[in-house]
Amino acid sequence: MTTNDYRQLSLGDLLDRLSANGLAPGGGSAAALTVAFAARLVAMVARCSPAWSDAAGVVAQASAIGDRAVELAHTDGRVWDEALTALRDAEAAAESADPKKGFALEQKLEAAAAAPLEIASLGADTAQLAAVAGELGEPTYRADAAAAAALAAGGASAAAHLVRVNLGVRSADPRLVRALASETAAHEVAARLRESHR
Amino acid sequence: MSRFASASDAELVRGCRAGEQEAWNELVERYSRYVYAIAVRGFRLSEEDAEDVFQDVFTRVYTRLDSLRDDSALRPWIAQLTRRRCLDAIAARREVTAEELAEEGSTDLTDVEEAFEVREALATLSGNCQDILDRFFARDQSYKTIADELEIPSGTIASRIARCLGRLREQLEGRNPAGEGSRE
Repeated sequence: MTTNDYRQLSLGDLLDRLSANGLAPGGGSAAALTVAFAARLVAMVARCSPAWSDAAGVVAQASAIGDRAVELAHTDGRVWDEALTALRDAEAAAESADPKKGFALEQKLEAAAAAPLEIASLGADTAQLAAVAGELGEPTYRADAAAAAALAAGGASAAAHLVRVNLGVRSADPRLVRALASETAAHEVAARLRESHR
Repeated sequence: MSRFASASDAELVRGCRAGEQEAWNELVERYSRYVYAIAVRGFRLSEEDAEDVFQDVFTRVYTRLDSLRDDSALRPWIAQLTRRRCLDAIAARREVTAEELAEEGSTDLTDVEEAFEVREALATLSGNCQDILDRFFARDQSYKTIADELEIPSGTIASRIARCLGRLREQLEGRNPAGEGSRE
């Protein structure tokens, strides 16, 4: 498996790579791909709703979000690989007491938090779009819309957790606040959809 | 704003023929990105070559406008002039036939055509629709960011975008009724 484009891999190859004892893809990429799955599910619901006048517009948004999520899966994998390399350098530097290496690690971890932050935001958007599809789309597919919202909320949670870990424990950091807000918004929508379909 | 800003292509051509400077300025404004996009994206010309094509195409448009038989066919005519000039520019640098070059660029040219049509259709939408579509699709803004900056409820953004896309689609379908192919 030499390709770095996840879209070119079969599902089996992608899952093998995810479970391989290597670097990327890891948790951030998996969160992004989960959001991408959710977005495509929303697109499916909209496509199966011929009587819904706004369905095509929802398909377009879901496709755009799904594409962005896949891009973020790549971005997260790349920056996480770089952060891990910096971490190893920093460990080596600790032995040699080189402060520049420690600074490089901090910068890489900051960058590693940026992708999950965007993934969490896309998760919230996807859940929001799933709510619209669940409310106005073909009733037969409402359960799929609810499933999409649940997946999106899961992706947002995983991404928010990675933001927290990558930034350390500074709970007042505005990026973490944003990530947690996205997570909360996604979960509220997912819970509302589940309740409305019981 | 120029009084030709909302003029049809046919009105623009008539204005140019009548020697109206404003009409010519609007024509160049309206088609400069189009010509440049064909040269750079469609034929992957360098900036220098694209600039030469740009100058040459608009010189030809200016001097040959009287030869345009259908005033409303301005865009396909400019596209044709641009493609020919791009092929000339590439042929001058590479040993390939014009047919091979045209085939290479066909997919990208279709993209350029579509992008231009979407841009034209977008311009007919309300300012609110243009803004919200630009924020979501071009600037990749999240629903929350859009909602915060426009001070509208976050839960309504997706539906607003969908409605604006519906209007955009109506505009595009009005331009390209079913069954009508490329105007090229």
